[in-house]
Amino acid sequence: MFHFQSFEDDCTLEEEGLVEEEDEIDQFNDDTFGAGAIDDDWQEEHARLAELDEQVRDGVHGAGDASSVDLPLAGGNAHSSALPQPSSSSRLYPDTDERGGGDLAESLTRLILGSDPAIAGVGTARSDRSHLPPMLSGQAPQPSALAGQSSLLLSYQQQQQLMRRGPAPLPQINSHSIWENSMGFSPVSSGLVTQKEDKTLMSIIKEVGLPNRPPALSREEGRDLSERVPPPRSSSPVIGSPPVRAVPIGTPPKQPMSQVHNHQNNHPSAIHVRASVPLRYPPPFPERLSPNNLLSIANSPLSHPPFPAGVGPVLSQIQRAQLLNSQIGQFPRGPAPPLLQGGVGGFRPFFGPSGPRMGPHGPPLGHAPIRHNTTHLHPQHRRMLNQRMQNRGLGDHVGGRGVGDRRNRDPYSNLMTQREKEWVARIQMMQLQSTDPYLDDYYYQNYYEKMEKRQERDRDNRKEHTTKLITPQVAKLEHTYRPVQFAGSLGKLTVSSVNNPRKMIDAVVTTSSNDEEKREKQVWNKRRQILYTVEKMYSLLLEVQDFEKKFLQTPEHQRDALLEQHKTHTLQLYNSLREKEWDDRVSDEQCLMIMSVRKGKRLISRLLPFLPQPQAAAVVMGIARNLPALAKKDKQDQVLCWLVEPVTVVVQSMSSTSLTDLLQELQGSEGQLPLVLQNKFGVTLLYLILSEGERMQSSDPNCQLMDDNRWTELVFSVTRELLKVPSSALSSPLFTPPNLVSLFSRYVDRQRLELLQEKLQITALSR
Amino acid sequence: MLFYSFFKSLVGKDVVVELKNDLSICGTLHSVDQYLNIKMTDISVTDPEKYPHMLSVKNCFIRGSVVRYVQLPADEVDTQLLQDAAHFYSEEKSLDTWP
Repeated sequence: MFHFQSFEDDCTLEEEGLVEEEDEIDQFNDDTFGAGAIDDDWQEEHARLAELDEQVRDGVHGAGDASSVDLPLAGGNAHSSALPQPSSSSRLYPDTDERGGGDLAESLTRLILGSDPAIAGVGTARSDRSHLPPMLSGQAPQPSALAGQSSLLLSYQQQQQLMRRGPAPLPQINSHSIWENSMGFSPVSSGLVTQKEDKTLMSIIKEVGLPNRPPALSREEGRDLSERVPPPRSSSPVIGSPPVRAVPIGTPPKQPMSQVHNHQNNHPSAIHVRASVPLRYPPPFPERLSPNNLLSIANSPLSHPPFPAGVGPVLSQIQRAQLLNSQIGQFPRGPAPPLLQGGVGGFRPFFGPSGPRMGPHGPPLGHAPIRHNTTHLHPQHRRMLNQRMQNRGLGDHVGGRGVGDRRNRDPYSNLMTQREKEWVARIQMMQLQSTDPYLDDYYYQNYYEKMEKRQERDRDNRKEHTTKLITPQVAKLEHTYRPVQFAGSLGKLTVSSVNNPRKMIDAVVTTSSNDEEKREKQVWNKRRQILYTVEKMYSLLLEVQDFEKKFLQTPEHQRDALLEQHKTHTLQLYNSLREKEWDDRVSDEQCLMIMSVRKGKRLISRLLPFLPQPQAAAVVMGIARNLPALAKKDKQDQVLCWLVEPVTVVVQSMSSTSLTDLLQELQGSEGQLPLVLQNKFGVTLLYLILSEGERMQSSDPNCQLMDDNRWTELVFSVTRELLKVPSSALSSPLFTPPNLVSLFSRYVDRQRLELLQEKLQITALSR
Repeated sequence: MLFYSFFKSLVGKDVVVELKNDLSICGTLHSVDQYLNIKMTDISVTDPEKYPHMLSVKNCFIRGSVVRYVQLPADEVDTQLLQDAAHFYSEEKSLDTWP
């Protein structure tokens, strides 16, 4: 492409490119050679320095001037790639002789940069650079790549020192005095130094990692600095799925970065540092963290002493630096850590208002009990939880302290700002918003309603209000889905999605013609049929049960309609128990079928309260009639007793004639009663009937019970049977009604009464 | 949402979670989310401590997909209600009839 352009253009382009490259490389350099990624033993560093000084003086030409500063730094990058081979560091000595002149300039400048702490802060005031030429002339470049590398490391060191010095880069020249002692290290033999260098190099490399990576990272960060955020989705990614709503969910909160940007822009000394990473923090790798962050920390307070408090991201970086303190404190490094700590601590005055934000670092010690997310819990539930926590909190007081200490030095905290955390939490909570909490959260709501009722029952006199659960409800939005259509096109898209499903497989049902299988299948089919019926009835039942709730919620004018609907449902339920429409009796077969399934029994027991009296009575009669069969089928499940409660209610509301009928049904054909007596439920039912009759007789003297002799005869036969049946065949009922004694005393003589009493273990004072 | 609702009612109760890697963790159910991820506090490994690395762990977060079983206290569960809830969810009830 370049060929087609004019030569001038060519040049300018290249120049521009170069300049850009230089800038970029420069910037890379900042990161690469930037603020102390290494916490090195400064003594060793200076030992090396001293050695280098000697070699520089021995060495050859110095070709550097300020302009070439940038270029060699580019070369420095190339050299940095050589860093990963620490073993070859000693071997680089012979290599560098081949590289020659270009490297000399590089190494020289690097050396200069390294040795002079004032210059070391690349990106600090340009005034520092003026020191370069005199120093350059003073010293000859050192032709070893090793020196170059060590000066890289030195420059790391310099950055660190810069950090430590804080706001005063210039006086650092004087700070040479601190290192004068180390300068005296020069008599150390070269061999020892090289060994030391190797070791430190290796240790540095181990700890720092490959310097290649930071440049790459910083390059990316530089480019999409303000676009850290993934772009909002304007269209849904999948054709055929519904369009995304206007508010893009996928954007994390943007940090207030404008101020930081301004700092960067206003500062004339062209800080080549990224306004780094306020939004996205690199993985918790402390050394990589520090070049960016510490340098920016270094730079921003330097340029603006009255530091505005409102810059969030940088503050958090301070926190990060403090974290770094604690981390570094853990590594076995000599005097460097205290210095660093002191240095960073020295930043505190600039960040006075950040004091409160240091909160997370000194968290309240661990005896604060764990807080549940109790936003949408039922108040009772919450109370229970709080009680539990209190009970445990008292016990855990001692153990909490250790946890608190541990929390002070968590290297993985503050990866996300509070806003980001809230954002993520909000997204998750959005999924839980429900348009109809009763439907979406059925189990929880009903469970706690039942608990409420139970509590009300238990302490029904208390004035204590039962707290109701209020679940926030979001208005339901109607989304009608229409598949994607292109205007003016023929036909439709052939993409099927979850919202636009298409038939993929033609499933054909084939029935086998095997006879045996058919029979088996019939058996299974029948069972399945029963289960199917039961399930259908269940749905109706649930609707019926919810009727009351619905009723309360519907407005007045619609209540009639609802009532009608309710009636229809109940009728439907009842009809399903009857086989033929015109027959008022409950169909035995159907009833039997349903009752043969455990779920069916449950169903009936729940259904009975909702049926009107005559229908309920019919059902109970049906049960009584078929009790032996039912008892037989129930042997495994033993769940007939579920029926006791509702049946009790029905029996107690029965008329005398129906009661008599019922008793007759119960006795039924010959030999039924003994079977009935064998079953717990049967006995209970019998007692119920008898006691009800007794109650009727005793309460109302004009009771119709005695109108015909049926009742008396029936009772006689019952007593006869009771006496005849051996005790072992008699099962104990669920409960014994109290008035049986009086009943029997009416009909039987004393002797028999006593026998009965003994047999049935009924006493005058019954439970 | 059925089991999310169900587990919500069990928050604060003691459960034993058996994971697909055969690790059984006993503890108090702290919270649950719509993916049935489970947070537990005060945990202990129920089986003989052949998982010594768990000795010092007090709280844990378990991703829902790795759970094999959750053992519940029987008296905290209303099975009838659970069955009804299953009915509710299995049916496609139209809300249009409900004003």
